[in-house]
Amino acid sequence: MKFRALMQDPQYMREFQAIVATLAKLAKDCVMILGPRQMHFIVNEDQSSTASPLVWASIAAEEYFPEYRMEAALPEHEFIVLSMSSASLGRALSVLRNVGTNNCKFKLQRIQFPCISVIATVLLSSSTEAREVVHDVPVSIIPASDWPAYVVPKVPNSQLVLSLPTLRLLRSLIDKLKNVSPSLEFQVNIDGELNVIATSEMSTVTSRFQKLLLRSLEASQQEASCCVDSRKASAFFGSLQVSNDELTIGIDRDHSIHMQIDVRQDVVLHSILPAVCV
Amino acid sequence: MGDVEASTYGDYKFVARVDHIKTLNQAIKSICFNDYGMLQVSEDGLRITVEQGKSIQATLFMPPGAFMEFYVQDFLSFGLKMNVLSECLNLFGSADCSLRMMYRDQGDPLRIILYPYDNEDVSTECAIKTMDCEEPIDYDKNLKDPDLNVIFVRGPNLSKVFHELEKSAEEFEFVTSPDRPHFKITTVGIMQAVFSVEVAKTSPMMMMFNCKQTVVARYKSQQIRVTNKAMQSATKVAIKTNAIGLLELHLVMQGEGHEEIFVQFFIIPLLQTD
Repeated sequence: MKFRALMQDPQYMREFQAIVATLAKLAKDCVMILGPRQMHFIVNEDQSSTASPLVWASIAAEEYFPEYRMEAALPEHEFIVLSMSSASLGRALSVLRNVGTNNCKFKLQRIQFPCISVIATVLLSSSTEAREVVHDVPVSIIPASDWPAYVVPKVPNSQLVLSLPTLRLLRSLIDKLKNVSPSLEFQVNIDGELNVIATSEMSTVTSRFQKLLLRSLEASQQEASCCVDSRKASAFFGSLQVSNDELTIGIDRDHSIHMQIDVRQDVVLHSILPAVCV
Repeated sequence: MGDVEASTYGDYKFVARVDHIKTLNQAIKSICFNDYGMLQVSEDGLRITVEQGKSIQATLFMPPGAFMEFYVQDFLSFGLKMNVLSECLNLFGSADCSLRMMYRDQGDPLRIILYPYDNEDVSTECAIKTMDCEEPIDYDKNLKDPDLNVIFVRGPNLSKVFHELEKSAEEFEFVTSPDRPHFKITTVGIMQAVFSVEVAKTSPMMMMFNCKQTVVARYKSQQIRVTNKAMQSATKVAIKTNAIGLLELHLVMQGEGHEEIFVQFFIIPLLQTD
């Protein structure tokens, strides 16, 4: 079992750091699935946490890593699956935010226990010599027999998918609306309108976002709606650390809402908010 | 004329528009000391009154001129939850919004629609349930006598004075008098510790001073402190008391378009035991 990867572009390093920081805000532990050409992170894959939604990130290795080598334990295996503390990984990567970070290597190795070593080369303005900052993040290796429990989630089939050019207003609204009602109804329609409705005993608050871009729709669907837990929705929006502002919302009627943020073409952050009964 | 109005407003009996909600929002927050508020609309303007027991009353008053658009039929009055109203006005946080208020008739919700300026494709409509309400207590009639003590001061200065006063005090004593010390606020703490501020009528913070008699009255500090938020955003404050010490604080808040919103507090004095 071998894994090593290298990052060099400062912009990519910052993005990668932001993705991991987002996950670290959502859950204590995360699962890292290393495939031959893709790296995935999943948090709350068992949906046991009531306040946090299922979030995962899929990263095309060739986008971020000029060097990416993965050898699974057995030749017939396609993946290496690891579980680790998301906060530790987040802390290890925080050095990538610094301007002086030249490159960063990831290495799976055994030092008493298995860990992912994050080795960053940092240039300081005060000296000409580069320094190496090393963090060893302990991981547990998940045996192949347990993999069925750690599959990368599938994007649900949505009847209607809209994209919101800027999520700033939506984000602060949802933060406020969670105090109004424990559940939020999302309605989208073919005219490119998104309504977020919070109903409480004393008031009904309807927020309307118009002129949104229709990304896809199933034939003959005029509208779709779904009620979700407002704490989960707020936790997702509150956790976002990536600088991208465009959000794609797909609604699978009365079943789930799928949120997607395209950090890059093949670097995507997903979340699924399951429907709740009102 | 009547027909034109009827068609624009449909069956709405009250429609009003405010261009910038910041000042209104501040004014409403400053009177949210009790959950239940009474809203009254007439051709004179909009009033929102909050009371606590029978000892303190606050009224926010907006004359028609403070609105960009103001339309009302008859006299309307209903009750609503203040925290719900305040929550609605705060939905966009600090982003500047314009607002439209609409109300049809008894039993219908008050509709408030917010339009944030930085994104014209976004709006939020809040339908706030309304309740039947009783008439608020009319303290104003007690403060119509010609022998009132009236002082006008600059808001920021007064706010600073209150800020310096002791926070843990239990009672406030106000002295207004034609003779020295003219205007004096004393706080009385738990151990009867006393702290006082005197403002002479010649002070630059005084805008007008008209006291005909000496009035000394004490108030619960809790009730005086309720006025703090309003005081912080007031440009001018009128302090009026009658002979028995019924206190009126009349605050003026100025909006971005120089429209004025008034907040009035009536505070009942404590009984003099000694």
